[in-house]
Amino acid sequence: MASSDPAVVVEGLTKSYGHVRAVDGVSFEVGRGEVFALLGPNGAGKTTTIEVLEGFRSRDAGQVEVLGLDPAVEATSRQLRECMGVVLQELAIEPFLTVRRVLDRHAGFFPRPRPVDEVLHLVGLEEKAGKRVKTLSGGQQRRLDLALGIIGDPELLILDEPTTGFDPAARRQAWELVAGLSERGTTVILTTHYLDEAEALASRVAVITGGRIVAEGTPESLGGRDRGACRIRFRLPPDTAPESLPVAVDRTMQGAIEITTDEEIAVLATLANWALDHQVEVVNLTVERLTLEDVYLRLVGEDSGDGADSDDRDLT
Amino acid sequence: MKAASAHGNFRGLSDLRLVGRQIFYEQLSFWLNPVAAIFTVGFSVIFLVLLGATGGSSRVGSLGGIRAIQYYVPGFVAYGVMSTCFNTLAVALVIRRETGLLKRMRLSPLPTWVMLAGVTGSVLVISMVQVGLLLFIGRVAYGVVLPEELGALVVAVVVGVVCFTALGIATSTLIPNQDSGGPVVGVVFFVLLFLSGLWYPLKPGSTLANISGYFPIRHLMLATFAPFDSRPGASPWDWHDLWIVGVWGLAAVAVAARRWRWAPRKD
Repeated sequence: MASSDPAVVVEGLTKSYGHVRAVDGVSFEVGRGEVFALLGPNGAGKTTTIEVLEGFRSRDAGQVEVLGLDPAVEATSRQLRECMGVVLQELAIEPFLTVRRVLDRHAGFFPRPRPVDEVLHLVGLEEKAGKRVKTLSGGQQRRLDLALGIIGDPELLILDEPTTGFDPAARRQAWELVAGLSERGTTVILTTHYLDEAEALASRVAVITGGRIVAEGTPESLGGRDRGACRIRFRLPPDTAPESLPVAVDRTMQGAIEITTDEEIAVLATLANWALDHQVEVVNLTVERLTLEDVYLRLVGEDSGDGADSDDRDLT
Repeated sequence: MKAASAHGNFRGLSDLRLVGRQIFYEQLSFWLNPVAAIFTVGFSVIFLVLLGATGGSSRVGSLGGIRAIQYYVPGFVAYGVMSTCFNTLAVALVIRRETGLLKRMRLSPLPTWVMLAGVTGSVLVISMVQVGLLLFIGRVAYGVVLPEELGALVVAVVVGVVCFTALGIATSTLIPNQDSGGPVVGVVFFVLLFLSGLWYPLKPGSTLANISGYFPIRHLMLATFAPFDSRPGASPWDWHDLWIVGVWGLAAVAVAARRWRWAPRKD
């Protein structure tokens, strides 16, 4: 287990439920200290993939190595789980125990746990330490989930939609916590529906749909985002037909022109020269890169719409 | 191999300490829910008090003319063990499975055997508290003659706890969801309890005794009664009945090992 080895190696992972291939030949690697996000619609195979990594689910085919161990091998499962934290959705916590007791107990499962007070502080539950779990709000319980995930000071933390149900402040705090863990050298694998979350946290993103990874890269470069695919919009000048413009128009909506292009400089130059020559005013001119969401929706095969209502939308 | 065993699923003393911790937290969880705790522990006591008050002094001819209360106390000792280890545990495990508590444990490094040892140890403590209460009330309120061989009673209780815990675990794997847990377990248990002669001694060889002889409840009751049996020549050690309880326990282990699930059924 030299620490220069990748934290996670997945090669040709396949898993079927009956006739349904939930995961169909997925391969990826996650380096030590990296924050890796798995994006995909529901039923895409995200959860199955991470359940195989957790050792919770068996696989049909493929190689999987987590921190140098095969998660399917029962003899080393305890060793693996001592180095791994998992935060899943919808898992209850003993309702009658206090927050501190629950963390104390969980800490006892690990050889080198983090101090309970430190963890309470990190998730912002210091004031709830003496309260029973059942008195916590939904968001507070999710933060306790997070605390249980990191109490063992894991080398690898797996987060399944870690901030679903968080208010914006708690969400920001959770992001900071994950960023802090990453600085400590913790490897993080997360699934999320929030593309801004992937963009804020992940150093690398893989988009999975239909059991396959369809794109992988940094959030900035995913699906060629950093290069081509730029969107130019402006309002159609009065008394001008879209056909008379000097550039190819992709879309017209109530006088709003939209052009998607790989050569934005050339298009803008042509447009600018034309406007100056004809003395027309080009109003509301905007140039923007495709958002991660545009790229994502294109990859998972849904119509991206006009993008106006797309910010921070839950995609399920 | 030394390194492997140090990292494996059994680490000697430190794991035994972990079992102790688990029992402690199981106990906390149990007693911090006082309504459930009092009703679990108190049911057998209330029953004993009621039966003792209404018919405890009548004589039981078939058992050598002993007072009925001498029969009820060991009967409710068995009842207490069974209701705690079987009913309460089976329902609790279904709830833990369906709410994700089991899955959380599975994803932690806690070995399965430590978790189960913690659960078993905890129901053993609760059973012992009940047995203590029943003997105390029987002695003080109704003048029950306590067994000379207390060891025989303790052994019967421990065997009963282990086997009915296994039965509780096995039963939990047969129950599909938390809403059906209580009713399923309650009906099965009370029918068997009725057949087994908790309220009145069954005549050996009678149809009822033959039917209930197939099930473990009657055998545990006979085993807990043996130390109280004052008929001449009766042995306080009832290995025959404990053996049958044990076979049921082993069968339960086989079912539980095959059917055990960590994740909620809906997953």
